[in-house]
Amino acid sequence: MEQEIKGIVFKGNSEGLIIVIPENYDFEQALEEIERKVTSASRFFKGARMKVAYRGQKLTPEQEEAVKAILDEKSGAIIESFARDEEPVREHISHQNNNTHKVPVRGPFFTGIDEGSCKFIRSTVRNGVRIEYNGNVVVLGDVNPGAEIVASGNVIVLGILRGMVHAGADGNKDAFIYALNLKPTQIRIAEAIARMPEDEESAHGICPEMATVKDGVIIVEQM
Amino acid sequence: MGEVIVITSGKGGVGKTTTTANIGTGLAVSGKKVVLVDTDIGLRNLDVVMGLENRIVYDLVDVVEKTCRLKQALIKDKRYDGLYLLPAAQTRDKNSVKPEQMIELCDELRQEFDYIIIDCPAGIEQGFKNAIAGADRAIVVTTPEVSAVRDADRIIGLLESQEIRNPRLIVNRVRADMVKRGDMMSIEDIVDILAIGLIGVVPDDEQIIISTNKGEPAVTDNKSMAGQAYRNITKRIMGEDVPLMDLNTSDGFLSKMKRLFGIKPA
Ligand SMILES: Nc1ncnc2c1ncn2[C@@H]1O[C@H](COP(=O)(O)OP(=O)(O)OP(=O)(O)O)[C@@H](O)[C@H]1O
Ligand SMILES: [Mg+2]
Repeated sequence: MEQEIKGIVFKGNSEGLIIVIPENYDFEQALEEIERKVTSASRFFKGARMKVAYRGQKLTPEQEEAVKAILDEKSGAIIESFARDEEPVREHISHQNNNTHKVPVRGPFFTGIDEGSCKFIRSTVRNGVRIEYNGNVVVLGDVNPGAEIVASGNVIVLGILRGMVHAGADGNKDAFIYALNLKPTQIRIAEAIARMPEDEESAHGICPEMATVKDGVIIVEQM
Repeated sequence: MGEVIVITSGKGGVGKTTTTANIGTGLAVSGKKVVLVDTDIGLRNLDVVMGLENRIVYDLVDVVEKTCRLKQALIKDKRYDGLYLLPAAQTRDKNSVKPEQMIELCDELRQEFDYIIIDCPAGIEQGFKNAIAGADRAIVVTTPEVSAVRDADRIIGLLESQEIRNPRLIVNRVRADMVKRGDMMSIEDIVDILAIGLIGVVPDDEQIIISTNKGEPAVTDNKSMAGQAYRNITKRIMGEDVPLMDLNTSDGFLSKMKRLFGIKPA
């Protein structure tokens, strides 16, 4: 628990990744944790280009170099920059209460992800179609490449997800994305963004997976 | 009352005009009264593919602008009984025709013909809107390329939003050898994404290029593989149940299609 409260936090944003390093945190330990996290999430970083920023503890130039070296080596992504983000560290404060995910990103967001309004789409969502809904969205069909679904709640695809889906679009990090077969161009939950590595062999047929945000990073679990 | 079928694709150069010429000729050879309408205003070539270029006097724009009567603009193909062409204008642009005028034209042609086959221009702009305006059915042509399949998907969505339901799919220029090597999308992959019924698979066949240059559609050539594929498609359009040609593509794809249509919402 101790570890959890004080640990390193990864957050995705539209630019790339933000790493929150708590003040007075042991640097060696921070480095180790960053390596572990980045390795476990490399599936999503692979081949991507991103800017990485960090918040919280101020690092020396040598320490910054060391972190960047690990990101370069372990993420599989092209790290365009690694620098301190000067924004006030709201996450850090809430983090001490161990409830990062409850911090509103942009004011009040949709909270009906356990029980709330829901839109049903009864067909394949095709290239060029964008569906925006303030609530949860269930698609009874596939979501094809070039299609976009933007929902403030969860998105459930009872088919193959090949397009772009944004769940928790107005900031709810607890929102999830579920599909019977998940091979999206890109998925977003609240501010976190992930894309599938291009060379990954994806499963055929039905192989349900769910994407959620953990420590600011989108993770995918088989169901 | 005749049936209006639009041949469309989204992406250019995938074989709409070739398909229009072959299906139209195939239907005429089977004894149907057929008119081919070229709506690719400014870039017409159905007349060339049909070998009728030198007989054009009036065109589609003349008809909708009432410069001439419909009958005057129809070119009769002397080789096949019951086959006619309404050519596109070459020196005008797509905005010279409005969707309402196309609906009116199609209604008039329905009185006369069994099948009205419309050759649609590439893209999703005015020309596309005109071409589909009066259609009862649509055939979407794609090649086994990711970009062509993407565009086909977009087109199917647009057709559905225009209430043209259940379009049929033709996969053109398939090369069995490349599919086998994994260098080309399989029919199965394409049908999987587009989730519409397949009406035919046409092999990549140099005979098409030869026949196009001669102005003699391959469908009448008994030695051409593509011609055979188009003859089969013609029969399926007329409601016959013809098994898919064996291009030795992946074996289980018919059973896969069943599964697909069985579980997916239409
Ligand atoms: N099955 C085939 N095998 C070989 N060549 C083909 C085949 N189908 C079409 N082609 C060739 O591809 C080219 C494009 O075909 P076509 O003109 O029918 O396409 P289109 O979709 O009408 O193009 P546009 O969008 O420009 O109107 C032509 O040169 C044609 O001969
Ligand atoms: Mg054409």
